[in-house]
Amino acid sequence: MKKAILILLVLCLLPLPLIAGAEQVLNVYNWGEYIDKQVITNFEKEYGVRVNYSVYDSNETMYTKLMSGASYDVIIPSDYMIERLIKEGLLQPIDKSVVTNLDCLCDGVLNMEYDPDNTYSVPYLWQTVGIVYDTTRISPEEMEEQGFSAFLNSDYKGHVYMYDSERDAFMIALKALGYSANTSDMDELNAAYEWLRNMDKAVRPSYVTDEVIDAMANGEKWMALVYSGDAAYILSENEDMGYCTPKEGTNVAVDAMVIPANASNPALANLFINYILEYDNSLMISTEVGYASSNARVLAELSGEGGDYEGNDAYLPRSGYALDEIYHDIPEELRSRYSSMWIKVKLHE
Amino acid sequence: MKSFFRMTYPYILWIAVFIVAPMIMILLYALTKDGGNRTLIFRFTFENFTRFFSDPTFMRVLFTSLRIAFLTTVFCILIGYPAALFIANLSERAQTMMVLLLTLPMWINMLLKTYAWRGILMNFDNLESEVKVFIGMVYDFLPYMIIQIHTSIAKMDRELLTAAYDLGANRWKTFLKVTLPLSVPGIISGITLVFLPAVSSFVIPKLLGGGDYVLIGNLIETFFVTTGDWNFGSAISLVMALIIIASMWLTRKIDRNAKED
Repeated sequence: MKKAILILLVLCLLPLPLIAGAEQVLNVYNWGEYIDKQVITNFEKEYGVRVNYSVYDSNETMYTKLMSGASYDVIIPSDYMIERLIKEGLLQPIDKSVVTNLDCLCDGVLNMEYDPDNTYSVPYLWQTVGIVYDTTRISPEEMEEQGFSAFLNSDYKGHVYMYDSERDAFMIALKALGYSANTSDMDELNAAYEWLRNMDKAVRPSYVTDEVIDAMANGEKWMALVYSGDAAYILSENEDMGYCTPKEGTNVAVDAMVIPANASNPALANLFINYILEYDNSLMISTEVGYASSNARVLAELSGEGGDYEGNDAYLPRSGYALDEIYHDIPEELRSRYSSMWIKVKLHE
Repeated sequence: MKSFFRMTYPYILWIAVFIVAPMIMILLYALTKDGGNRTLIFRFTFENFTRFFSDPTFMRVLFTSLRIAFLTTVFCILIGYPAALFIANLSERAQTMMVLLLTLPMWINMLLKTYAWRGILMNFDNLESEVKVFIGMVYDFLPYMIIQIHTSIAKMDRELLTAAYDLGANRWKTFLKVTLPLSVPGIISGITLVFLPAVSSFVIPKLLGGGDYVLIGNLIETFFVTTGDWNFGSAISLVMALIIIASMWLTRKIDRNAKED
């Protein structure tokens, strides 16, 4: 009797792998809320495959998952993380005979230091870090004049959101002080730490993450540090809001598609990457999420006359500004310092 | 008897793989420093611990965690005890109903409940972060306390109360001399079930407290996830594990003393 049940159970399970084996599967690992799901559905239909789509909320989460042995075919990390993945030999080269749409890339994402020839990575969306502010409280001239030092202006006390990300927080401090965002000089970092402590004292910001998007769309505070893609959404929801890319220079960040060395279906991964680059698909994605497209035509069209983001100062990231920098991978010891110092800033010490 | 012992093998294996092995790994991480670059070179050091104990910020975080866990536990007893006593004095059917009502919120995911509280507390901007976290914690952990205390009161022999009245004790004295001592085991296990998750909680402070409210659980998360410094993160986890073991030992001791009395 027992045997009969066992055989029955095994028989029940048999068709599963048979069905699954009939179609190819692509494992995609992307940031949360960072795609138009329709694009995925279209890709599945067009190529007769199934896309296994999962999301993460930080580069570090993604890295930890990858290190724990999980296998993905396409991942979309940021610049400094790609630099690290390349350095550690965790990526495989893009097959340029398949990814033929590379010539559509816009100038802003070309020649990135971490991968100048796009050997391993293909830009997906990009952004700057900047300030969203209520133009009825702070005039555009005032904002542009102050740049990041607006975070030291005690007139705004209690009306400021600070994004709770240590790297971005230190970036604005370092930039305001005229240093590089990638410095490893301890004196410069200590100066940045003092700057952030002064910031905490002067404006007593609320330390927030993604809730800042809705809060600023509702006009709850006067200014906030945000990513330009989120700012584009805020500006389209609330016409009083303005976006300032600070004069001291800021971080330009590129999220790019890469294929891990342990991918189980690299051929399909290359097809997928090429598909995402296509005009129609890039247009859908960029329109949906508000981050700048890597496709030059899409970028021009969405920000140009009649485009969805016409007149939206946040959509089109500043490019070619000498003081702007992309992040580099920083050693663990330095990251640990950042964390300790950032916790102290937040605890008002 | 022997065959019974054999039935525990799966459990022993489970403990070994999912509890003992990870604990050893945490210990190893806590006592080492990475040689860098994912190579298996590491060196033994107490650096991670000295770093933690010599930094006043981390000490303050530790103290805040202990304080809020303690306050949460005290409040859960203060609210939970009368509630448990009230329930235990109801008819049997009503008791079943009340216990069901108590466990009802537990069917909902804690994350979801905390998000709901976040929505509610967002309207009270002038509340201190600590108060918000405190409300969330008491709300989440209160049912554990009530159920533990209720169980120990409910299984108490009612004849003891009658005997106490017969011997001339008034209600207050009966409570102090009979009900309270007999419910101590319930309080103790309630404390264990409330204090331990409260001291290590990181979702509630993260969602309700805002970025400037950091507990030790958040500290561990930061160093594991954001920083990627697993060695320091493990050291903090180990410190917390020791605190938990110490507090369990302490409550056990109190429990035993109470029984001897």
